Amino acid sequence: MNTIVVDTRGLEPPEPFERAMEALVDLKPGESMRLLLDRMPHPLLRMLDRDGYRHAAEVREDAVEILITRP
Amino acid sequence: MSANPGLAYQDTPPFSAPLRFFLTAPLFGVVAGLVLLFAPGVLESRWTPPALALVHLFAAGFMLQVMLGALLQVLPVVAGAAMPAPARVAGASHLVLAGGTLALAWGLGRIAPEAILAGAGLLAAGLLIFLAAAVRALLDAPATAGASRTPRDLRYALAGLAVTAALGVLLALVLSRGLALPVPLPMLVDLHAGWGWLGWGGLLLAATSWVVVPMFQITPAYPARLTRHWAPTVLVALLAWSAATLGGHALPATATGLALLALAALFAIATVRLQSRSRRSTPDASFRAFRLAMFAALGGLVALLGTMLTDIERLPVVAGVLVMHGAFGGAISAMLYKIVPFLTWLHLTQAGIKAPNMKKLLPDAPMRRQLQAHAATLAVLLAAAVLPVLAPLAGLLLMVEFGWLFGNLLRAVRAGRRARG
Repeated sequence: MNTIVVDTRGLEPPEPFERAMEALVDLKPGESMRLLLDRMPHPLLRMLDRDGYRHAAEVREDAVEILITRP
Repeated sequence: MSANPGLAYQDTPPFSAPLRFFLTAPLFGVVAGLVLLFAPGVLESRWTPPALALVHLFAAGFMLQVMLGALLQVLPVVAGAAMPAPARVAGASHLVLAGGTLALAWGLGRIAPEAILAGAGLLAAGLLIFLAAAVRALLDAPATAGASRTPRDLRYALAGLAVTAALGVLLALVLSRGLALPVPLPMLVDLHAGWGWLGWGGLLLAATSWVVVPMFQITPAYPARLTRHWAPTVLVALLAWSAATLGGHALPATATGLALLALAALFAIATVRLQSRSRRSTPDASFRAFRLAMFAALGGLVALLGTMLTDIERLPVVAGVLVMHGAFGGAISAMLYKIVPFLTWLHLTQAGIKAPNMKKLLPDAPMRRQLQAHAATLAVLLAAAVLPVLAPLAGLLLMVEFGWLFGNLLRAVRAGRRARG
């Protein structure tokens, strides 16, 4: 299965949030995307929780990576 | 709670709470311009009554208003410290502080003892309201582990603000009630200014920069060793300098004074170096203004060094202009241009409204032109420190600069209102 990658590192807030939201719209049920950011996106995670998306975060040296799956 | 220094927005106060401070602040800059325009000889020394009025309109008016507005926003988001009833705390402290600043500036400028005392009293009362709510919020905040030193350094800056205010109240009692103190008045004024500039202003600017510079200027993080040790070292050095000064020990006072200048320079140089490693392809207006502010800070520190080593007549005024208008004025304007459009965007998004792009809320061109006016004002203010005949022109430019800043911020807020429909 394809997992799209959205790399928002180096973008000025709130562009990472906007890019992530645009990519989420294109996601079909069961599909996943990997989101790369410079810092933990608390507002986005709250929105994902509210809308029932599954997500798992990994904090790495060079990025915060979130795997998001549409239910 | 994540160990990552991310930002939690769920505790964001209502937009009106910080906004009232952000929109009032530039108006004090306009009033400061009026003083320069109409008070003759204002910049002839740091001790002229209108110069004292000017300094307090800028510090207790412009700087304090912005900084308290930013704290309202930053304490819950960065430190997880949510104030009880933020809108009421903001409303009460904002009004009392604004009135106190005007009374104090009037009293200092017109040598009116009752107004000095009333102004200092109101400022102290307004700060007590704000500090009580801030301390309560910080005590209730969950302990945050992780890399960000910002919450700790915000506490230090609040302590620095309390010391500055206490020294200010003491000075007001000396001036208005003839309170006799065992130390000379100029020494007490130097302590008040030292704590205000570095213990409050410097610590708060640094604590905010640890988060805001990497985030909005797309730079690497500040070196961990710097963020871990800088603020505590500044506090210890300030205490040592104060003790040496009060004790009349000339050599230790000079040595600790030099250490404070070096610490401030270290922060400015680290910030300039970080900015040179930005991943931004073209620096925007705010980025350039922040860089100019850091160079003004370095220039101001060299001028302060000069005042410690020589008796050159105009140097203290030059130092004051560079530190207050150049460094704090520039850095605070640059930050306001990031904070106000971002908060406008954030509150629209949280309300479930499709927010316009940040560039639409406040385009780069009006910011750039206003910040060019800031740079021109700084240049004329410096010239006026040497050639006092230029002071009215500097005053006029200061009014234009801050009136324009007010207009630009209002533009972003109005664009947000329109998006709400």
